[in-house]
Amino acid sequence: MQKYEFLEHTADVTFKAYGRDLNELFKNAAEALEDTMVLLDEVALGETLNIEMGSDSYENLLYDWLSELLITFEVERFALKKCFVRIVGLSLTADCLGEILDLNRHRLNTEVKAVTYHNLAVTKNDIYHAEVTLDV
Amino acid sequence: MAFEELVKRGEYVWEVPQDAALRMRVPGRIFLSEVLMKYLERGAIQQVANVATLPGIQKWSLAMPDVHTGYGFPIGGVAAFDVSEGILSPGGVGFDINCGTRLLVTTLFKEEIEPRINELTTALFEAIPSGLGSKGQLRLSEKELDGVFLDGAKWAVNRGYGNPADLKHCESNGCLDGADPTKVSPLAKKRGKPQLGSLGSGNHFLETQCVDRVFDKKAADLFGLKEQQVCIMLHSGSRGAGHQICTDYLKMFQAASRKYSIELPDKQLACVPADSQEARDYFSAMAAAANYAWTNRQVMSYWVRDVLEQQFNTTATLVYDVAHNIAKLEKHTIDGGRKEVYVHRKGATRAFDKDDSYGIEQPVLIPGSMGTASYVLHGTKKAMSTTFGSTCHGAGRILSRKAARRSLTWRGVTEGLQRKHIVIKTDDLSSVPEEAPEAYKPIDEVIDVVSKLGISEAVARLTPMGVIKG
Repeated sequence: MQKYEFLEHTADVTFKAYGRDLNELFKNAAEALEDTMVLLDEVALGETLNIEMGSDSYENLLYDWLSELLITFEVERFALKKCFVRIVGLSLTADCLGEILDLNRHRLNTEVKAVTYHNLAVTKNDIYHAEVTLDV
Repeated sequence: MAFEELVKRGEYVWEVPQDAALRMRVPGRIFLSEVLMKYLERGAIQQVANVATLPGIQKWSLAMPDVHTGYGFPIGGVAAFDVSEGILSPGGVGFDINCGTRLLVTTLFKEEIEPRINELTTALFEAIPSGLGSKGQLRLSEKELDGVFLDGAKWAVNRGYGNPADLKHCESNGCLDGADPTKVSPLAKKRGKPQLGSLGSGNHFLETQCVDRVFDKKAADLFGLKEQQVCIMLHSGSRGAGHQICTDYLKMFQAASRKYSIELPDKQLACVPADSQEARDYFSAMAAAANYAWTNRQVMSYWVRDVLEQQFNTTATLVYDVAHNIAKLEKHTIDGGRKEVYVHRKGATRAFDKDDSYGIEQPVLIPGSMGTASYVLHGTKKAMSTTFGSTCHGAGRILSRKAARRSLTWRGVTEGLQRKHIVIKTDDLSSVPEEAPEAYKPIDEVIDVVSKLGISEAVARLTPMGVIKG
């Protein structure tokens, strides 16, 4: 199963993430976001970060989760390489592994301004799908 | 939404009929020539129709000739909402609140700069922080940041980053009334605080340009523009502060839209009644971000002037500064009566027929894509009656960033610029193809359409000499 793929969007970045369950879907969406922002091959696994949050729908939980990672990236300079996500009901806990960015070693990709609600969807057929558009 | 739905209402005017989609309250209008028509996307037509469903929308949901698919509103979208019956929508402004363009004119002419363009571009590149996550050189306290949110460009001028005459040459004098820093979240402050005076990345840029043609001598003289004269154009916005303010209020408005029973065709269009407390709070925070953006461009102008003084012992005068992502409380004549409306301009520029800055029509600045011409225009009466005093904001994308990276190389693009004797500096060569001229509509055609429509008139054309790509 493909983890995620980038789709065509004229002005911004749209990706589709996949997962056999919600945990995997949210993990893959996080990796797609980080992949947009930084060259992940160069990011090591030295630091950990724990995130907990809850919301009122899977879409809003995904929006909050990705927005939190974007802020962490911009403010704390934490680049996520791997994560373990557990979703129970509409609550999420995550252990994130990655590294604090060092611009002498890490190459940045695209500056993401925000996660948008545009066509934001979490759906399920055989597996879970999520479509997310980022404002860049 | 199909192209067949569009009805031609005049040369360059295409209507999305009110019955083209469910719940449209007004028709849509898209301004395009035959040439630009071939770039129109179905997604953009759909977004014009979606905006037309929002409560209190007046007359038409509009799209300028640089229209392309955005998120929520189309880019190039303009819509006016009644202050009592209508709504206010953060998605109708966008994340980069008061992203805008500023033009400074120097006392230098092309031949004086040409031999030293490399040196000048390098000095500007070193003086103005640019690129991904760029930070400014100012270290602000919480209190100072609140001052930025409240006073806009005036905050910078009061601290010596410019002169009082600069304020006269900014849209809204570089400060939107009604800003309230207490409506800005701690996170937005945290994101904005280190970034004041930085360009950012993506399509943000700083260009050294020269006036290559003057179309309207009277206006050009008033704006201080002569043929061959060298100018500096800046394109930047409210950085992380604006991005976070929009993120915060969009999230809040998801629930609020439901509370007010507003049916949304797209969650990104989340909105609240314009006379609600939520709307007042958003407007206060949005105004704070708009003021941050004006301060940001004002501080960067200071570094530009500093470089010009060091390198050429000269300075630069501010021609104008315009926003192209903003919501403003304005009075317009609608169906014969004067009405107060919130005009949302998402990738569109104000183009009023009257302005205090020069005592004639309002100057309008339209940047082209990297390596192509930019334009100075002025607003018109026709814009007041047909587009709520608005015009285009740029060339408008046609290629996705992904497609641009796939079909173009940074080497090819920079060589193309070199052939035109344009110097480029950037921290991020890999993103250069994303902003290549091939990724955008032809700017000359876009300007031709807004001129022929009469929603703005060309004053001068500027061509690039040195580009700093953010």
